[in-house]
Amino acid sequence: MPIKSAFISVHLRLINMNSLRLLPRRIFAFVARDFRLFVSYRMQFFLRIISVLAVVTTFFFISKIFAGFTDPRFSQWRDPLASWLTGLAVLNYFMTGFSSLANSIRQEQMQGTLESVLLTPINLPTIIVASSAWDFLETTFFSFLYLFFGWVFFGVQYRGNFFLAVVFLLLTTVVLACLGILSASFAMVFKRGDPFGIFLGAGSALFSGVFFPTQLLKMYAGPKLGSISSILPTTHGLDGIRQVLIEGHGLAEVTKPLLILLAFLIVLLPFSLWVFARAVRRAKREGSLVQY
Amino acid sequence: MSAISIRNLSKTYPVPFQRLRAFFRRPAKAAVEALRDVSFEVETGEIFGLIGRNGAGKTTLTKIVATLVQPTTGSVAVHGHDSVEQDELVRREIGLATAEERSFYWRLTSEQNLLFFARLHGLSARETKQRISDLFARLELEEVAKRRFGELSTGNKQRLAVARSMLASPPVLLLDEPTRSLDPLAAARMRDMIRSLAEQDPPVTIFLTSHNLAEVETLCRRVAIISRGRIRAIDTPRKLRDLTSESELVHITVAGGEKVSFTRQHNDDLLDEKIRELQDRGARIIDIETERATLLDVLERYEAADER
Repeated sequence: MPIKSAFISVHLRLINMNSLRLLPRRIFAFVARDFRLFVSYRMQFFLRIISVLAVVTTFFFISKIFAGFTDPRFSQWRDPLASWLTGLAVLNYFMTGFSSLANSIRQEQMQGTLESVLLTPINLPTIIVASSAWDFLETTFFSFLYLFFGWVFFGVQYRGNFFLAVVFLLLTTVVLACLGILSASFAMVFKRGDPFGIFLGAGSALFSGVFFPTQLLKMYAGPKLGSISSILPTTHGLDGIRQVLIEGHGLAEVTKPLLILLAFLIVLLPFSLWVFARAVRRAKREGSLVQY
Repeated sequence: MSAISIRNLSKTYPVPFQRLRAFFRRPAKAAVEALRDVSFEVETGEIFGLIGRNGAGKTTLTKIVATLVQPTTGSVAVHGHDSVEQDELVRREIGLATAEERSFYWRLTSEQNLLFFARLHGLSARETKQRISDLFARLELEEVAKRRFGELSTGNKQRLAVARSMLASPPVLLLDEPTRSLDPLAAARMRDMIRSLAEQDPPVTIFLTSHNLAEVETLCRRVAIISRGRIRAIDTPRKLRDLTSESELVHITVAGGEKVSFTRQHNDDLLDEKIRELQDRGARIIDIETERATLLDVLERYEAADER
């Protein structure tokens, strides 16, 4: 028996190495598939570009109401348009990290293709990474578009260490992706009704400082309600990115949000993978992989 | 080593959230017992048939072998790999073709669909191109390669499902009613292909479920009859037929319209004697027909026994 276990363990290790080697090919498979499905609805692509431009223009005019606003407590909001646009672009990205996997699992369940994908010799981490890849590419494009339209049409200036901003963006997205894995696990077992989505979707817009400074929450809603913002990873991600891009801060000044995000990651990553593996096992036990 | 080894396999679909239902005093549903203590082996290169009525447990058994459903007790091994502990290894060894149309991306073409699944199997760009081209030629799908899956006829969708199951050249193929939507000519060609796969070197093991009993009878070396989750019999089609009746009714028609009918046992000399008798009388035999028990009779016998 120990010989058999050793044999299985060596075999599984080889599979993992092989899976790692094949990971780029498999990610490419999902990206190519999703790109083809995406271009089969061409009109939707152009309508989204127009809607981003409309949103940026609307926020430009709203920002004019606040012309000359220079409260020193809200240093990130001296140029409200820049704050809103970074907020929208980054929120867009974060929400993709959060919702992409759950959406993709749900879509595959509804299409009936989930079983076909799970029949191929790919492991769960590969499915998690690969099935979200296209969404991230698409969101990168549209998030960039918010910033690009702001810069080209309305003269918004960004400064600071772009590399550090990308680090914040990636870190927060991975943390949200962990919550997304929990959300996908929920979709896998309960098929619908995802409480994480409702909490994070509405919660992030209200409590994370996307549209207004989080300090205002504490001032007007009291310290208890105001402290909700500090338990949301989006608050720290957005704060870090704005500190870098709008205030021009360097690494030494943004260590606090960086460490908080790392703590979120260390707790959530193993936990979410464990929950997802259990959810898949449960769906296989119930024979409900294709039900929706 | 057997290609597929199934030992004491049982599957009961649990009632989702049973404890929660009990807590809220909602009426409890009964758990569905889909398979009960199923055991058998399929040899390498064998075409093995599984027949039974709808809901008998065929799909559950196939999905457990394919690692899509987990057994409640017992085990399934494919070429020695356990379907639960080594599911990824098992998936390298098998290809599954079902008659389920929803398992493809309807807005992608046939070729794009196969391309996606080939990449998931880890095939290189060159291998993928070659393999897809071979499979399209073998299954006569070249004309629909560039057409969206949603635009294909039901028969072509089914052939594409078989093509997908063969993408990575797996040594074990699980085919669920592979000719259900095919026209008679296409069905015959599909059967020829299945036969040739089992005869090639190295041979492909075929695990076939079908409601077409004549097809099972002509294709399969051995057949298992499943009824209400239990395997009731496993043997060659001929021996299964003999379980119902060892006799057959023979009708001999001679020129002029005379018809001689008699019942004979499978291994007796009665047929020789009757032919000799007719020839001695100077009669010219123009047709011999036999009526023997079919797999349908065997299936009906077990179903009737289960209902009693």
